[in-house]
Amino acid sequence: MAKGKEMMGPPSILIPCSYISTESNKTGAWRFLRPRYEEKTSPCSAACPAGEDIGRIEMLATQGLFKEAWETILWENPFPGVCGRVCYHPCERACNRGEFDEAIAIHTIERFLSDTAARNDFKPVLERLPARKEKIAIIGSGPGGLAGAYFLALLGYGCDVFESMPEPGGVLRWGIPSYRLPLSALRNDVSQIESQGVRIYTGRRITRDLLEDMYGTYDGVFVCCGHSASRSLGIPGENLKGVTNGLDFLRRVREGEIPSVEGLSVIIGGGNTAVDVARSVIRFGGKALIAYRRRRQDMPAFEDEVAMLLDEGVELRELVAPITITEESGEYVLTLGSMKVAGEDTDGRARVERDGDTTEEIRVKRVFKAIGEVAAESWFEPPEKGTDIKILNTCVMVNRPDHPAVVFGGDLTAGFKSVVNAVASGKEAAIALDIVFRKGLDSVDEGLADCMVGDGPAHSMEIHMKGERYKRSSHIVPYEEINTDYFSFTQGITQPRLLRDERLTSFEEVDLKISASVAMRESERCFNCGLCNQCDNCYIYCPDMSVVHDSSIQGRHVDYDYCKGCGICVVECPRNAMSLEEED
Amino acid sequence: MKRVVEGSEAVAEAVRLARVNVISAYPITPQTHIVEFLSEYCANGTMDARFLRVESEHSALAALIGTATTGVRSFTATSGQGLALMHELLHWTSGARLPIVMAEVNRALAPGWNIWVDQTDSLAQRDTGWIQLYCEDSQEVLDTIIQAYRLGELVDLPVMVVLDAFFLSHTYEPVDVPDQKLVDDYLPSWEPKFQLDTEKPCAFGPLVTPAFYMEMRHAIAGAMEDALEVFPRVEDEFEKIFDRRYGEIEAVSCNDAEIILVTSGTATSTSRLVVENLRAKGEKVGLLKIKLFRPFPVELVRKVLAPAKKVAVIDRNFSFGASGIFAQEIRAALCNTMKHPPVFGYVAGIGGRDVTADVIEDIYRRAKASDFPEGESVWVGLQEN
Repeated sequence: MAKGKEMMGPPSILIPCSYISTESNKTGAWRFLRPRYEEKTSPCSAACPAGEDIGRIEMLATQGLFKEAWETILWENPFPGVCGRVCYHPCERACNRGEFDEAIAIHTIERFLSDTAARNDFKPVLERLPARKEKIAIIGSGPGGLAGAYFLALLGYGCDVFESMPEPGGVLRWGIPSYRLPLSALRNDVSQIESQGVRIYTGRRITRDLLEDMYGTYDGVFVCCGHSASRSLGIPGENLKGVTNGLDFLRRVREGEIPSVEGLSVIIGGGNTAVDVARSVIRFGGKALIAYRRRRQDMPAFEDEVAMLLDEGVELRELVAPITITEESGEYVLTLGSMKVAGEDTDGRARVERDGDTTEEIRVKRVFKAIGEVAAESWFEPPEKGTDIKILNTCVMVNRPDHPAVVFGGDLTAGFKSVVNAVASGKEAAIALDIVFRKGLDSVDEGLADCMVGDGPAHSMEIHMKGERYKRSSHIVPYEEINTDYFSFTQGITQPRLLRDERLTSFEEVDLKISASVAMRESERCFNCGLCNQCDNCYIYCPDMSVVHDSSIQGRHVDYDYCKGCGICVVECPRNAMSLEEED
Repeated sequence: MKRVVEGSEAVAEAVRLARVNVISAYPITPQTHIVEFLSEYCANGTMDARFLRVESEHSALAALIGTATTGVRSFTATSGQGLALMHELLHWTSGARLPIVMAEVNRALAPGWNIWVDQTDSLAQRDTGWIQLYCEDSQEVLDTIIQAYRLGELVDLPVMVVLDAFFLSHTYEPVDVPDQKLVDDYLPSWEPKFQLDTEKPCAFGPLVTPAFYMEMRHAIAGAMEDALEVFPRVEDEFEKIFDRRYGEIEAVSCNDAEIILVTSGTATSTSRLVVENLRAKGEKVGLLKIKLFRPFPVELVRKVLAPAKKVAVIDRNFSFGASGIFAQEIRAALCNTMKHPPVFGYVAGIGGRDVTADVIEDIYRRAKASDFPEGESVWVGLQEN
């Protein structure tokens, strides 16, 4: 184009052409719609009881910022190593990508990040508020108690945790087999919690008197000692020697005992404990049968666990309930009655009733009860009535005059018992106590509502502490608001696992680790719903060059002097991190 | 070399021979084959050109306005609704004085959806400042596209080369596809009189006040007049190399004709046959083919038609509330002459209906039987209720 150079200067024919800057023409005055950067709430984070900022975690993981991604989990949940393994991951069911191809394997990435942090001995840099004078006692070092203590520590409170057992962790330490949750994973999370200044006193069983003493020495008490007493079957023979509590069996195994399990063991129940007991029995060389009063699809146990259980050779009997247990020459006869479906419960599970008089007898070596637990002491339970009681989402708060604030949480008050729900309860207790100390009791409801993720019920520490996430809209981005033109179908990750034969002979962790490249590929599939991942589509597509890069966290802003409000930036944003609104 | 090619391929071959740099088009029946040929040429290296994929005809022409402003030879093709969607940018192209060439395959406008030939789409764009050339066969299409670049680049105006849907676009005919060297001799590379220069940036198409706008429009009018002067020279040079010429108009047996039929597009070929047959029967009939529609060759048309007793215009198009559009143009060309024949307007072949030899002969007979036109337009071949 050498010729072009020579032709510089005004055209030799009459055309509309101007060498004067058009900057004086502030075309922004034409605008009647105003685009703006507005991050929104991803459905996964709203579905996570702990309110983890999952869209952001995946974004950071994609960029290889594993420490930052791990720290982002720690804002909201001190148990990434545990939850990456044993959480029922409701986040993945809410994942918008699930409507496109396959949901992101969020829990697998969470576990990867936690393992990576442990391997590299990362020291988290966490936001925390200045130290305060109030001291809080926490009863119980399960996930709820430790989470409560951890969040209170970040909020500036001195925390003492009291644990009756010789090691902290509660059900995580004593109730979940190591093939699902290796001790190292739990210990990593616990030591991270301790490194935030939480003191844990083990071997300290709390009595009623001791609790009364605490009211004198602490400004607040969080009672979160869980359910450790077995529920009763209420049938003849329940107290025979060979009929034991499934959770006790799991505890003995975690204490190092190698139990004798020869012959057939029957486990009564359909939850994770029942499955854990059965799979442990199999690993010790015994035979196991699960008797469940409802159907397989009604089992509270995780679907994956049930599938592996059957694969490992455990027999599952659905729609049977125990009627009697009798002892006969060193063995037991378990009489099971048939059940039938008689409608549906509010949670969608089958409601069952006896199906005539049909029974069957099974000769068994032992019976494990795994039908749920209740509080070990009645005074662990929160009072049921009273004007001084405030019922929160997952906690119950008691405020009596001249008495420290007491919050009951975890399994004692939670409707749904799982690790992440216990974490949520611990967080709610911590935030509620923080509001009481800073603003007074009357502000608790409003303060908790202010830090909800989306429409709740999950709360966010980052929002409570007014971090970046505080600026986000509570609007939960539905699949329809994703511009799927920018995504192509990609197969999700397949969780690598021990082979069946390898599983049968050891308590080695069943789920294997994944490599960093696999984790990054998986996290890259994330839509990052509602979050800006700096893709720069707004900048590229703006026909008026009115998206301007800057040094803010957002990295860019709209130049409203020239933005005509065409809305292309908003439409081309793949993840709805922008909004278009009518001008006032 | 003579080859049997589809009309669409004749277009594509001409675009290749013209060494076009950028093609942007959106597919629409019956233009699609043209785009398919060209995209293949770009993909397989037959042409050293960029094919810009776009989401609409509006964008196709907008993209070419950009590329042509940088001084590269640009081409598009469309049809019917696609041309209608381009309307705003048709004005833009001529106003910016960009010699973009377009192959326009005449197609009827919806509703109802109709993919067949009808000239209303291109004739509705007659006031957009584009030169318009209507072709009769595939050889003419090929030659005219090459000439269009020569013509457009000389007068700085865009050129629309128009061909009938299916009768031309999808019909195979023997066509002489010339050697590249000959075409290179005929068509030099484009030397734009202005082009985008990033070293000295400027805004194209800014606000122009009443103090200047009129002059700019007048300049376009002047360029159109220049095109009338330049066109025969463009054909002279072409004829020297390729031994073919078509003329702005072509008069067949008009010298002593009492009734002259006026046609355009493929209806002309059929009319040639009809005129020959009628002449054999002693009828004093002639035929005027209009190729150059914009600028309209008023003087040439007057010269041919003035001596006749009657003029019968066959329009494959219609301007609602007025008449067939060629008839309007012929009337306008004749009205300022002292003595001129009456103009009989006939509308035939709308929406792809066949204009057969019988239809044309019927038109001739009707014109002959009536002293004055029965109306501004007579629709021929309508179904009886």
